[in-house]
This record gives sequence, structure tokens and C-alpha cells, in this order.
Amino acid sequence: MTAHRPQAGFERAKARFFMLCLAPSLAVLALVTLAPALFLVVSSLTPLDLTRPDTVGDFSRPLENYRLMMADGRLANSVWVQAKLSFWTVLLQLLIGFGLALLLNSRTRFLEALRTVFLIPMVLPPIVVAIIWKVIYTPDISPMHWALASLGFEVPSLITDPGWALTAIIIADTWQWFPFTMLMTLAALQMMPQELIDAAKVDGATAWQMTWHVTLPFLKGVLLVAGLFRLIDSIKAFPLIFILTDGGPGSVTEVTNYYSFQQAFNFSLLGYSSAITTVLLAASVLISWAIIRSIGWGHRE
Amino acid sequence: MTHARFDRRTLLGAAGALAATPALGQAKPFAGQTLNGAAFQSTFFEYLKAFFPEFEEATGARVNFNTQAFPVYNQRTDLELSTRGSALDVVNVTFIYSGRWIGAGWLTNLSEFVNDRNKTDPAWDAADFVSGAQSAMSDARGNVFGFAWEAGAMLMAASRYDLLEKNGRSMPTTFDELLATCDAIHGKENVTAFVADRLHHWNWIPYLMGLGGQVFKDPPGNLTPRLATPEAIRAAQWYGDLLQKFAPPGGLSFSDDQAMRAQMSGRSNIRTQAITWLVPLAKHEESTVKSTVRYALMPAGPAGNFPGSNSHGLGIPVGSRRKELAWEFIKWALSKQMLNRIVETRGYPSVCRRSVITGDAFRSALTLNGQDVASLYLQVLELGGRSGYMKYRTVPVFPQVGDTINRGIERIATRQQPADAAMRQAQQDAVQVLGRAGVQVDAD
Repeated sequence: MTAHRPQAGFERAKARFFMLCLAPSLAVLALVTLAPALFLVVSSLTPLDLTRPDTVGDFSRPLENYRLMMADGRLANSVWVQAKLSFWTVLLQLLIGFGLALLLNSRTRFLEALRTVFLIPMVLPPIVVAIIWKVIYTPDISPMHWALASLGFEVPSLITDPGWALTAIIIADTWQWFPFTMLMTLAALQMMPQELIDAAKVDGATAWQMTWHVTLPFLKGVLLVAGLFRLIDSIKAFPLIFILTDGGPGSVTEVTNYYSFQQAFNFSLLGYSSAITTVLLAASVLISWAIIRSIGWGHRE
Repeated sequence: MTHARFDRRTLLGAAGALAATPALGQAKPFAGQTLNGAAFQSTFFEYLKAFFPEFEEATGARVNFNTQAFPVYNQRTDLELSTRGSALDVVNVTFIYSGRWIGAGWLTNLSEFVNDRNKTDPAWDAADFVSGAQSAMSDARGNVFGFAWEAGAMLMAASRYDLLEKNGRSMPTTFDELLATCDAIHGKENVTAFVADRLHHWNWIPYLMGLGGQVFKDPPGNLTPRLATPEAIRAAQWYGDLLQKFAPPGGLSFSDDQAMRAQMSGRSNIRTQAITWLVPLAKHEESTVKSTVRYALMPAGPAGNFPGSNSHGLGIPVGSRRKELAWEFIKWALSKQMLNRIVETRGYPSVCRRSVITGDAFRSALTLNGQDVASLYLQVLELGGRSGYMKYRTVPVFPQVGDTINRGIERIATRQQPADAAMRQAQQDAVQVLGRAGVQVDAD
């Protein structure tokens, strides 16, 4: 016991020293992340309206914004639009990214160059991507519409057609972000042990069997993580909607964060917007936690 | 940026404009300062920018003036003003935001500058601005928070009037005639009969009022929305049909500029919009319809004629740290001399100084294809000023109600909902959003 005492004291001192070193970083982190979040939650308990100074710090009906949310049909619609957008963009980005990664998983010069080309959409500023697609989707200046018209196909304006507007956003978002899943998958593929492939070949596996029974199980974790990142990012979808459709026609492409943005910055209703954002934040955390739990990420063996 | 050519006439004009500003009598009084300004895109600022070097030369200050698309500008400036920040020194006071920005105390009281002889020479003549255009720039006590650079008077323009003539039509004067004309000319020579931009809460309201409807019950006192009345539903159906049948593909997403270019290139024919967006059809160097464009008053409905009119002004944010310089800029930009120069050299059609509007240069600039468009402009301004039917647009909560109108019209025009359902939803959304803004509405 006595031999352990100096050791324990040293460990405690070491822990204290580490905490002391960490403290400034933690304080800064708390300031830049927790303080705004706290302000958000506090604001959500007030009817804060920038044009009415009397609403600052009015906590007389703290749950009023949350009560109003329950009766807000446009908000409910935005949640449904968000769910559709997230589902399809994540699914398509995973499928296309995975498929292309398999095709490009080779070390020829041509394929390496092609990989770089495929990465371009991801590194473009979101607003540039939005403008590119605005041109593509605007019939009188669109090369796509000209080409289709010359082939005899009359295509409606995708961003003003209620049946197509959300699909148009999904296509543009998928184009921008499939390289992310492709990149992650490619990186994982290049880490794949050669023994696994050799063993499958010895067993006479076809290409399809190899993909389904060897590659896909090996990539499961990476694909789930990529999907999680894309899911969280899809909830933040904004520039494409802002530039292409303004949430319309009607409310067909109005997702929850866009609706919240409008409440805050078009109508100055910061309190109500904060309430929506608080719920959105909680939902994002919950979804992320559920996914992380389901894939066992961070589980200690 | 295109710089103006400096000749004797230009310099004399500049000297005249600068003479009205006492501070500029001193040598480079604002040397080293940068004036940051912002407004939405308009031909006025395109023209004015060409003269910036003169202001910079006279004051020693540098002008950094940015313009953005109408909704983008409003959004950014609304946010900037709400922070009472100092990023901007001169802003456009947008008509639909004027009540909100002035009411919230986000703009500087310019009456204090005007009434100070050391800051404003009486020859600048603040009273020369048309009162109708200035009404949205003032508070209830008569304090002025902006000076109007544009009065928007809604007219109708047919870019390809020749197509109307070929089909035995003249410029429509009623809603029924407008529909019949569109029906007769749509698709002829690959030209759509009608075009509009996506700002339905501006474009649709004259049709709503013409069919007997209104936006609010009795603005600004009673802001109960009236969007689901039989008149409003009928007007929404009527306008939605007009867009759905006769506008170009994708027209619902058109900005002001896109709609103007559709007309200028001869792809779309009739548009009802503020004069600023219609005169370039006859004047703009890229216009292909200079010889075929014709103008007329907005058609009338059974309840009368209610062409939209509005005004946008230049104001100074309350947080600006260069208010003196900003005021010099406003005086310079909106002086009689500068406005006359812009009218003479560029044919700008929407000035708000009475002395300029009634001058020969303006009348001459607005005689287009032999038509006296200046008199149409004055008729609309007088109509709006006399009856006060534009009051609905300056209430602080109009932006949010306008947004519900936009979405309602889009739902109808894209056949997502029938007119009655879409407008009932718009009414419900408007009541909800007004409730959140603390506005009391009638129970009915």
C-alpha cells in the first residue's frame, strides 16, 4: 500500500496538470459553442421580435412559442419536406458514391485523374453550385432544356413545377455531395486487406458475390459514418433552396431550417425561430445518437 | 464600373450639383473616408455609379456601393439595421420595409440635417420631392427618414405590340380585355402573351383591388387579413390562370430582371409592372423591341383601376459612423442637377422631384415611340396619392403577409391547390404570423 501512495499522488498531480492545461481550451469551447446554444434556448422562451424592443427578456409566457409550433401547419409541412429531402439525398449519395468508388478503385493514371474530376463539385462553394443549377433549371438559358427540346422533349421548368421542384433540389444536392461518400469509400477500399480478396477468389466468388459478401460488410462502418455525416448535413440544406426555389412553389421545397431562417431574418421573429431551431437541434442530436448507438461507433471492445 | 466622360457640360453639371452642398465647398472635407452604401439592383444606381468619380473627387471620400437582387438586399439590410451596426452608411429605404425600419428606430432622422443650414443649403429644396413619394419615408410626426429616388408607378407594356395589331387587338383597358388579348396572341411567333416576376404580393394586388378585394381590413388601424374573401379568391384564381396559361415556362421563378429580359428579347409580350422595368424596353441598348413596344395604363377591373405605386428612398442607418458623409452623398445623388443629368443622359423614368418631372427633359425622355409615357406616370402617381389605397404596403408586418400571398398565388398557378383552398390557407398563415408579431386581428 505504502509503495502505491507516491504513485497515486503523482497520478493525481498529473491529472490536475492536464486539467489545468485543458481548462483554457474548454473555456473557449464553452464560450463559442455552448453560449450561443444557451442563448438560443433562452430566446426561444421569449417572443423576441427585433422590431419590438419590449419583447427582449419577456419571459411572461415561456412556452408560448412551443405551443404555437404545435398549431403551425407550415412548420409541420417543412418537417415532412425535410424528411423526404434527407432520405433521398443520403440514399442517392451513398449508392452513387459507393458505386463509383468501386469502379474507380484502381491505380491507373486515367482513373486517378477521373477521381479528381469527380471531386470538383464537393469543393465548389455552395452558392456557385446553386448558380450552376439555377442556369441548368431555367428553361430559356438552360443547355439541358435546349438539348432536350432539340430532341423533341418538352420538359417543364423543374424548379417551378410542384411535382419536380424537390427532385430538382435532390439532384443538385446529390451532384454536389456524392464525391464525399465516394472519397470515404475509396479510402476504406484501399485499406481493405488483400487476404480477404484472395480468400474470396480461392473460394470461387463472382464479382457480385465478392461485392455483396466481402466488400460491403467491410465497408459497412464507413458507409454508416458517411451516411450520418450526410444526414446531419442534409438538415442544414440551405443555399440550393435559397437560390433555386425560395422554398416554393408554394411550400414544396421549404425545409425546416429554411422556414426557421425566414421567421428570423425575413420577419424578425427571433423568439419563434429560436424555438424551431432548438427543436431541430434536439432532433439532430437524437438522430445522431440513435445512429451512433445502432452501429456501435465508439464502442470499446 | 463605367466612368462618365468628362466634358465641359459634365463638369458644369457637376459643379451645379455640388454647389448645393455647403460642406463640399471646403477642400476634400471627407478625405480618406469610405462611404459604404447598399441598395437593390436598379438602373438608377447603374446610372449613378458612372458619376461616382465626381463625388469622390469633390469630397476626397471613396464610394463603395453594392447592389443586390431585391429580396436579397431587403433581407441583408433588414438584418444589418436590426443590429444597429455601422457596416452601412447609406441604404435604400425599401417601400415595404419603410414602416418597419422607421418604426423600429433603425434609420436616422434626416429632418435634423435638412433643417440645419450648415448642413443643407435651402436651395437643395427638400419640399420639391413629390409628397406621395415621400409619404412612406416619414413617421407620423412628419420627420423624414429617407428621400425618394424612385417612384414606382405600375403601367402596362406590350413589347410586341405589332403582334396585338396583327391579331386585331389594341392595348387592353379592362381585365376581360387583357385575358382576351392574351388568348389571341399567346404563342404567336413563339412569344408568350404575358410575363411577370415572382413578387406576386406586388403584381397581384392591383388585380385583387380591381375585383373588389383588399389585403387588410382597414390599414394601418385594422390589419385583419382579407385574403379568403370571395373577391380575393376570385382575383387569385384569375391571376393564377393568367400566369399558368400565358407566362413562359419557369416564369414563376423569374426575378424582375429576368422578366424584363424576357420582354426585351421579344420572348414575352405583356407585363404589368413599375415603369422602371418597362422603359428599358424602349431605351436599353440590348432591347430588340425598341420599335414595337407600347405603353398603357394598367387595365381596370369592375371595381376600378388600382395600379401599384410605391417609392424607394435613400436613408442613413442609425448606427452609421459617417452620417455627415452619408448626407452629403444623398444630397449629391438626389440634387435637382444630378437627377436632371440622369434623365437627360440616360432617360431614367422614375424620378421623384416635381421640378424634374414637370421639366422638358423628363417629358422628352419619356416620349417613347411617340407616346407620352410621362403623363401616364403622373396619372398613376396622382391616383395612388389621392385615394391612399397603397397604405396596405407600408405597415410593418407587410413582409410576412406578403410572403403568404406569394405562396398562395404559387400554389394556384402551379395547380397544387384550387384558389379557395390556397387562399384560405394563406389567410390562416397570415393570421398566425400576425399573431406571432403581436398584431391583434378581428375574430371573423
